[in-house]
Amino acid sequence: MSLDIDHVTKRFGATTALDRLTFEVGRGEVFGFLGANGAGKTTTMRICLGIIRADSGEIRWEGQHTADLPRRTWGYLPEERGLHPRMGVLDQLVYFGSLFGEPRDRAKREALAWLRRFRIADYAGRRAEELSKGNQQKVQFIAAVLHDPEVLLMDEPFTGLDPVNLILLREAFTELRDRGRTLIFSTHQMEAAEALCESVAIVDHGRLVAGGRVRDLKRASGRRTLRIAVEGDAPSTWLATLPGVDAGRHDANGTELELSPSADPSGILAAIVGSGAAVTRFELGEPSLEALFIEHVGRPSDDEAVLAGEAAPSSVRAGSPA
Amino acid sequence: MSRRDPLLPNAGIVARREYRDRTRSPLFLASTLVLAAIAMLVAIAPIAVRYLDRQTVTRIAIVSADADLAQRAVSIADTLLNIPPPAADLAHWSKPYLVEVLADAAVAGRLLQDGNLGAVMIAQRRPSGQLDIALETKEGPTSARSQVLSVAAFGIGVLDWSARLPPDAGRDPFMTPTYRVDQVNGASDGGTPLDTRQVASRYVLGIMFVILLLISIVVYGMWVATGVASEKSSRVMELMISAASPGQMLTGKVVGIGSAGLTQYAAIAGPALVLLAFQDRIASAILGPDWVGGAPLGGLTPALLVGYGVFFLLGFVLFALIYAAMGSFVSRPDDLQTLSLPLSLLAMTGYLVAIVALGGGTGTMVLLASYLPPFSPFVMLARLMVSAVQPWEVVLSVGLLVLAIAVVAVAATRMYAAGVLLYGQRPGLRTFIAAARRG
Repeated sequence: MSLDIDHVTKRFGATTALDRLTFEVGRGEVFGFLGANGAGKTTTMRICLGIIRADSGEIRWEGQHTADLPRRTWGYLPEERGLHPRMGVLDQLVYFGSLFGEPRDRAKREALAWLRRFRIADYAGRRAEELSKGNQQKVQFIAAVLHDPEVLLMDEPFTGLDPVNLILLREAFTELRDRGRTLIFSTHQMEAAEALCESVAIVDHGRLVAGGRVRDLKRASGRRTLRIAVEGDAPSTWLATLPGVDAGRHDANGTELELSPSADPSGILAAIVGSGAAVTRFELGEPSLEALFIEHVGRPSDDEAVLAGEAAPSSVRAGSPA
Repeated sequence: MSRRDPLLPNAGIVARREYRDRTRSPLFLASTLVLAAIAMLVAIAPIAVRYLDRQTVTRIAIVSADADLAQRAVSIADTLLNIPPPAADLAHWSKPYLVEVLADAAVAGRLLQDGNLGAVMIAQRRPSGQLDIALETKEGPTSARSQVLSVAAFGIGVLDWSARLPPDAGRDPFMTPTYRVDQVNGASDGGTPLDTRQVASRYVLGIMFVILLLISIVVYGMWVATGVASEKSSRVMELMISAASPGQMLTGKVVGIGSAGLTQYAAIAGPALVLLAFQDRIASAILGPDWVGGAPLGGLTPALLVGYGVFFLLGFVLFALIYAAMGSFVSRPDDLQTLSLPLSLLAMTGYLVAIVALGGGTGTMVLLASYLPPFSPFVMLARLMVSAVQPWEVVLSVGLLVLAIAVVAVAATRMYAAGVLLYGQRPGLRTFIAAARRG
């Protein structure tokens, strides 16, 4: 009982957008579809929805080819945010619900419930163009879930949301998952993916480079993350040059080091203490999803780093100056 | 996913939204009111023109080798044509006809052709003494003027006979003059000649219909294209394509926006048509009973109205589908002007050939264009208005138009499906063809 992406290939002229992409999403999962810009995430979602056709391979939901499924199986939150600008918010939601086969009165009831939940019920009668970008995004999310689809495909759902709305959206994700819905989303916000996803697929240039349960991926990598904080919070960029440290980065909470499997954490602690610094935090843990992503895809470009989070921490590769 | 999506109910839902979105906008209401007012002004303009032209005099020429006979004909025709109406104020009434003698029949014929004469009456005396009177006119023999002049012909015969009557009248009995009407360039409807008023009415109506068709196709077609382009530019298209199939969206847009266009069209044309229908009564009230005549809708028949409705609807659907496909290929509505120019020129070509047809043109170009889409809605409509068209020609024209719509609908849906996902690219001809061919 799952969504099977089975050897899907798609070319646009000379560009291969998807190259025999294969992975599986379990029913009732929150699934992270990760990849750099242009990796093929949106193309995969569009093929799922039947908006474009794969050159080869196929996508099945619970064993059925997607072409045989009713349209309301899916909910879709596209990366491109947009609503009918002059149409009222509630009218718009009822309109989209109707297109998915919802009776108008039910669609209206559901829409109002979602609007209340997202704290924008006061805007029900307003035109979409009068809403802030974040509120428009919430309306668009409601349009995608109003008909209670079995599978929800979301392209960068967290972009542009403030922390409060981020929490509201995450809570909605959890609730939908608990109701047995399958949620698949792409994001550059690794923290969000890490917090929500049980499984992920990491794609690069249209190919799957890593996939499976997040916990298993972390274990399989053999890598560890060491989080250190010292008195005075001085950037300890020299730590990244220590043996066994692959990369390090410093932010307001301290320094985070990515350790190779052969690294010796006690040697690192000794080196810090030896430098005269007073250690206030020394925490050894599994690698972050971001570390795994970078390991498989490579460090994102500056543009992507900005997209990935408002306060992108300074990053250094092993052996490079901070 | 569901590539077997039925058109309904989603096409209907999209159509409803498109219709309401347009008809509820203040701009729609304002433009409809302004255009309806303009149309009503145009409708009553002929009354104003008639009012200004109330002193217009129609010239009738008498041509005869016999000067005395010519003078007698002038006298009789003048008397019969210029009878004051009962309600006329004789102090201010002036003769509507000027009957005069012209020596040269060829000159009179040219003046008739040019419209400077209303009719030419040629009176000849046969060796037997019997008068032969021919009336050359653009009207048919059943027109009121031809009928009056037939009475005049008899009167001329009587006057001529009595004027030449010798004392022994028994030797030369009275012979009723022969009288015939030679119609010049007469229009017909299914072989039945039309009188001048009907011909004029149909010509004017034909031009009106063809112009309305052109305006509707270009203006409302652009509405369709702009609607599609706006959805793309606002990026709501991304959400739409997950909710409805390209076929559903395309059909909904064409039907919804087309219906909004038709609503505005009816709101503009309705009051104007009412004014036209009552134009004679209005003219009678303003200008008096002697100036009534020439009802502008006199040439309109139910069959012509049906023909107009069919060609209007089919023509609009054909062009609207192409406009929608074009709209899907631009990223911003601003780019539409350039892209839609070839389509507007195509419609304009149909319009120009239709004008030729309305002027009596029956050449191969007119015939072919009346059968072939996308020109046929204009040209066949024009031919129907002013000339005899065989039933098989209408069937062929409508059949080809329906076939063209079916083909264009398939190609336009494919182009639309490809075009709505195309951002930031300037589409070339190759892009259109590739999209249309892709299954």
